[in-house]
Amino acid sequence: MSALAAIIWRDVRLAFRAGGGALQAVAFFALVVVLFSLAVGPDIALMRKIAGPVLWTAALLATLISLDQIWRADREDGSLDIIVETSDALPLTAAAKAAAHWFSTGLPLIIATPILGVILNLPASAYVPVLMSLAIGTPGLSLIGAFASALAVSLPRANLLISIIVAPLYAPILIFGAGASIAGAAGAAQYAPNLMLLGAATLFAALFSPIASAAALRSNLD
Amino acid sequence: MNKKQKRMGMIVTVLAIAGLAVALTLTALSQSVAYFYTPSELQALAAPPASTIRLGGLVEDGSVNYSEANSASVSFTVTDGGASTIVSYEGILPDLFREGQGVVVQGSLDADGLLVADTVLAKHDENYMPKELADALKEQGRWQDGSD
Amino acid sequence: MASISELANPQRFEGLAQAVSPYAVGVAFITLVAGLYYALFNSPADYQQGESVRIMYVHVPAAWMAMFCYSSMAIASAVGFIWKHPLADVAAKETAPIGAGFTFLALFTGAFWGKPMWGAWWVWDARLTSVLILLFLYLGYMALWQAIPDKIRAARLAAILAIVGFVNVPIIKFSVDWWNSLHQPASILRADGPTIDGSMLTPLFLMIAAYMALFTAMLLQSMRNELVARRVARLDMAADAATSTLVETPSAASQS
Repeated sequence: MSALAAIIWRDVRLAFRAGGGALQAVAFFALVVVLFSLAVGPDIALMRKIAGPVLWTAALLATLISLDQIWRADREDGSLDIIVETSDALPLTAAAKAAAHWFSTGLPLIIATPILGVILNLPASAYVPVLMSLAIGTPGLSLIGAFASALAVSLPRANLLISIIVAPLYAPILIFGAGASIAGAAGAAQYAPNLMLLGAATLFAALFSPIASAAALRSNLD
Repeated sequence: MNKKQKRMGMIVTVLAIAGLAVALTLTALSQSVAYFYTPSELQALAAPPASTIRLGGLVEDGSVNYSEANSASVSFTVTDGGASTIVSYEGILPDLFREGQGVVVQGSLDADGLLVADTVLAKHDENYMPKELADALKEQGRWQDGSD
Repeated sequence: MASISELANPQRFEGLAQAVSPYAVGVAFITLVAGLYYALFNSPADYQQGESVRIMYVHVPAAWMAMFCYSSMAIASAVGFIWKHPLADVAAKETAPIGAGFTFLALFTGAFWGKPMWGAWWVWDARLTSVLILLFLYLGYMALWQAIPDKIRAARLAAILAIVGFVNVPIIKFSVDWWNSLHQPASILRADGPTIDGSMLTPLFLMIAAYMALFTAMLLQSMRNELVARRVARLDMAADAATSTLVETPSAASQS
């Protein structure tokens, strides 16, 4: 257990250091939100309606641009070979890497969401549903992202390929996450089922993504 | 913790996650994450939703009224057997729109509970047969209304 | 380099493909002509949908093939991954573009059916959305193959992706039962038997047979092409290696 905690702690520290990916993702998140509200213009009624889905889309895009980094640094300095060779349970290591990615990307995005919600005129009733759905859904994004990133680890500049691979796998999380934030803000009955399906998607990702990541890493290194 | 205990712990964790995921899915699917509401579901809501909604059901027989002033303006009742909702719509209806047929209507509720629709979609069911056969079945009284 | 089985199996496959291919093409042609004849001229109009029902005969088989191709691709991927069978890898790789084509055909014909019947080209209901996701899964799978130069590694990684993406297939199948969708529920594969009249089943089954035969013919041909291309690439590499060792000129050394 302590070895996994060490991996998470090391990755999070690296990500928050100067040049790390954590603040880049939050900056990108804010950029998308601001550009979107500029594009929509002064129609506040329209903005209030779409604020939840916009936050979800921006969070997904910000996660997407950070995925390439998950295994890249370890691959470049050679520590990935050591991790794969010495790990007695590679799926657990992959899960730890995904967790580290969530702590350094997903969690900062969630913390930034209330502030960006103000820019988007997010209705007061929508704050809890949006934050709740992001909290349940973003770990799934990190888990699935770690898998897609592991597939492309031996390729240089794989961001576009990772995006193409991960887009269909992210679709359910985006649908249920944005669906929950809309339904929750409107007080509709679909709020709970959407959150449950979102939770189920993240849990299924937690089951299968570490195994698939491990298989992808092994295939990439031999 | 020795290796065996660790392995047992892993298996228990994996089974717990899988069980929880399946339980969540089944619970969510038993409540509806619907593409549309039915009139009964709409009636059961504590507060009518403020935003755009979709309503699905059958067009009640004899309920379709074309406005005299404007032939493109139409009102009809959508029912699911239990409850019903009155819909008003202005525009071209799809070919399959007819009394007794399934529709999905998108729009917003006004203060009187009338659904002002901006889109009317016709829903067809899974039954396919030639017209003559459908007529013959109706004549013989063997027609099973596929309205569910 | 190439193991004995890797050389032997493609050769046996070549013989088999040469024997089967003409029949597959013939069956595809006959069933396609017969199916289209029945679909367009020799089947009744529907009691509800009228003549538009004829779109069903190109749409439903395409949608089935979209899911059938993905399932075959996932199975071939699993076989290739577990038993390291190169022919299974090639089969999976060559199934993807055909499956993507059928998926596109299903979406395209669906839009042309949806407009007159539902009143909309496209709606974001569960069935349509999950089939669109299937198309993107095919495209991602093909992009992954494209991106990785080493064929053996590409096969293993693409296989993992194909297997992971298989979760979408049951979601497509049951989407119309799980969610209130605009799309109709199943008409053929249901517990209480088909709800399509016999006179309409004839063209439908003929078209399914035509698409299956077409798929077989196209898959065999593109697998043969891929195997030939690989052999050419291997010969090229061997030839390059031979010339560069024979002619050790300074210019050749600096080029390589």
